[in-house]
Amino acid sequence: MRLEMGHIYIKDIQFASESKIEDGILYVSEEAVKAVALEDEKIKSVSFDIAKPGESVRITPVKDVIEPRVKVEGRGGIFPGVIAKVDTVGEGKTYALKGMAVVTAGKIVGFQEGIIDMTGPGAEYTPFSKTLNLVMVCEPVDDIKQHDYEKAVRFAGFRVATYIGELARDLTPDETKVYETCGIKEGIEKYPDLPRVAYVQMLQSQGLLHDTYVYGVDAKKIVPTIMSPTEIMDGAIVSGNCVSACDKNPTYVHQNNPVVHDMFEQHGKAFNFVGHIITNENVYLADKMRSSDWTAKLCKMLDLDGVIVSQEGFGNPDTDLIMNCKKIEAEGVKTVIITDEYAGRDGKSQSLADSDPAADAVVTGGNANQVIILPKLDKVIGTLDYVTKIAGASEETLREDGSLEVELQVLTGATNETGFNRLSAR
Amino acid sequence: MAKIKVVHYINQFFAQIGGEEKADYPAEIRVGEVVGPGTAFMASFKDEAEIIATIICGDSYFNENLETAKAQILEMVKEQAPDVFIAGPAFNAGRYGVACGTIAAAVQEELGIPSLTGMYVENPGADMFKNQVYMVSTKNSAAGMRDAVKKMAPLALKLAKGEAIGASCVEGYMPNGVRVNFFEKERGSKRAVDMLIKKLADKPFTTEFPMPDFDRVDPNPAVKDLAHAKIALVTSGGIVPKGNPDHIESSSASHYGEYDIAGVMDLTEETYETAHGGYDPVYANEDADRVLPVDVLRDMEKEGIIGELHHLFYTTTGNGTAVASAKAFADEFSQKLKADGVDAVILTST
Amino acid sequence: MSMQTGYTVITNNPLVYEKFKNSHDVIYREVSYEDILKEARDRIHQGYQLLTHPLSGSVKPNETPYKSMLMSSTKGRMDPASLRLIENAIQACGKFRFKGDQFQSDVYEDFQMIDLTLLESGMSSADVWA
Repeated sequence: MRLEMGHIYIKDIQFASESKIEDGILYVSEEAVKAVALEDEKIKSVSFDIAKPGESVRITPVKDVIEPRVKVEGRGGIFPGVIAKVDTVGEGKTYALKGMAVVTAGKIVGFQEGIIDMTGPGAEYTPFSKTLNLVMVCEPVDDIKQHDYEKAVRFAGFRVATYIGELARDLTPDETKVYETCGIKEGIEKYPDLPRVAYVQMLQSQGLLHDTYVYGVDAKKIVPTIMSPTEIMDGAIVSGNCVSACDKNPTYVHQNNPVVHDMFEQHGKAFNFVGHIITNENVYLADKMRSSDWTAKLCKMLDLDGVIVSQEGFGNPDTDLIMNCKKIEAEGVKTVIITDEYAGRDGKSQSLADSDPAADAVVTGGNANQVIILPKLDKVIGTLDYVTKIAGASEETLREDGSLEVELQVLTGATNETGFNRLSAR
Repeated sequence: MAKIKVVHYINQFFAQIGGEEKADYPAEIRVGEVVGPGTAFMASFKDEAEIIATIICGDSYFNENLETAKAQILEMVKEQAPDVFIAGPAFNAGRYGVACGTIAAAVQEELGIPSLTGMYVENPGADMFKNQVYMVSTKNSAAGMRDAVKKMAPLALKLAKGEAIGASCVEGYMPNGVRVNFFEKERGSKRAVDMLIKKLADKPFTTEFPMPDFDRVDPNPAVKDLAHAKIALVTSGGIVPKGNPDHIESSSASHYGEYDIAGVMDLTEETYETAHGGYDPVYANEDADRVLPVDVLRDMEKEGIIGELHHLFYTTTGNGTAVASAKAFADEFSQKLKADGVDAVILTST
Repeated sequence: MSMQTGYTVITNNPLVYEKFKNSHDVIYREVSYEDILKEARDRIHQGYQLLTHPLSGSVKPNETPYKSMLMSSTKGRMDPASLRLIENAIQACGKFRFKGDQFQSDVYEDFQMIDLTLLESGMSSADVWA
């Protein structure tokens, strides 16, 4: 499949009477985006705000981060099975608004988390301090159930991102990149001497606030399957997560999956990037057995020489990670895994809840228990009411001078396990 | 600002007193003197720190008079009250490495003075002490002095100032089981791709998180002729003669015990107990056979199911005891078991 | 892992207990997160199998006070895989600061609800066998 990605660089976001993109500036009609968000009657009110890199702004509790995109040529539309109708995506031409994101925030549960600081020490850890953020804080109607609220906010974010993406439909991209993979036979003929590799992505799929959707399908209901690596670029995988923000993949990370992009960099050079295998992280142990059997089986059927496996989350997924690694290695396929660590505040505890000697090639996103002091910032988008209740935060979290003592766990994307960041540990 | 005060420990060789023939040189302190490698440290410290005293000790003297030498040197260091203590570097010199590790760990632990040492990764002192004191990884010979000092001097200054110590790969010390975050040059996905390319080409690569050490031992084949076999009992459950005569620690044991059970048919509340501090001792103290089944084996001996029960048993407490210590204990008593013609061992844990 | 014809819910979550006490086999204990894991461990020693992961959910041990698990209702030989999982989970409790008693009451309801949904996602898989 061949996908042409057109990048349109956004230099600034401003509220205006009319929504448009001109000279790299995104003008947003507040009225128009509010109307898009409020299409769902479960959302009582929504407020929009803009947060820019370097500003003294803290966004919390963050639910999702989304990059606006628009499909300009080829089958399907952005977020198939969710916003666009079900159709296979990943080919043709897509435009993405680079340097910006739509950030959804709102309290779904009392212990929710997710902080994005636009300046200060926290900004070094969250990747979304570097994007211009159009932030939407959603308030639900009264007496709504948490799962209905989660879904309403999730969809509102996709609708707004799609609305913003549409503004770019007739623009000329600043930069174009082409991503292309070949069919099995074609690949063997084209790259007879290159090792065959794939990406195995584990998707969070444990239950409410711990879910991921593939073409709209709840990932806990899938058996592992193969995708073209370009499909994610059209929003084939979206996030339904909002607990433990540091090592969950917001939709933005799925769209820009760094393993997919860095494997494409070596496609046709160091190896033949054959495909993208997705699997899940269910709580039921027999499901884990089945899914890891299947990933290993798919690796074998594709005659792979190597894979990179990425994890999402802590604890339960450690078991899936090790099962996948062990079984794939046992098929003679060389495996590198990406994880993060919970080594305790002092760094002395055992980092993972599971381990195996087969996992001899590990990349880590760092120790999520590391303590960090976040200074008081001038403005809060959302509310700090819940910050003291989030994972890695504690009673003494809010200190006298207004600063927060927290663990990296609370920072959105800080120890991402697709290797999105430079953070590591030894 | 006052200069940071450093006390430096070296052996007889680096003090240019002599080689192996002078290894019994007793501990001495030279106050106000910079000796041997100290010069390189001083150059590296510039105006920030100075070596206020150098302690010299022969490697044999240190290792053969361990407790005395340690006490003497601790006293010397205490008197100088330095901000930081540096031992070595020892490179691949085994006894020097063990001495450096021992004394650096002792200074840090007993005097509360931050300490560091440096040596080659395969020096036996490395595995023994790298988790107790910061230990810079050096080359395997004194030709690596410049490189060693380049890493050790700045780390010593940081330790003296109480600054946060970065990750092992950044500061140059050996991984010590404490995970420390830092920013890599490349993002994780790129690092994973690079690692995969190396792994595919069978080239060496370094994992960012070594899995916990799995020292799996394949079981021996089954004993064919049990009726003529000599069976020994070994336990990490801490069973000792009443009163714990060898003072085996209730946790993090530093030694094991060897006890004679010739003629003992049953372990009773009056004669045996457990030294283990990691489980409720009531039932083990009531009847130590529950952990070390002497009574059952005596029955089996009588019934001819086993040949005989070995008259010595070996015991320690597994509670928080370092794997390296446990291994060292077993290395030693396994030889004794073999020498005594034991055919099989029943190892009980708790 | 062999096929299960039935399962037992082990929980310290009152919401789970209330919801399933009449329709399912439920062992409910008013104990801590770590102690409910130990309850499961004791049952594993007796020969019951774990059917769901003891560290389900991203809210960390000691941060949420609640944990529910599914275990086999019939016992066999001690299952080493179950034992490994539960021991690792008990060990993991030590890594996180205890703050299970620091929240307002409505937050506990949310913790209970999330634990319930995690359990239910396991039950929907388990019920395929039933």
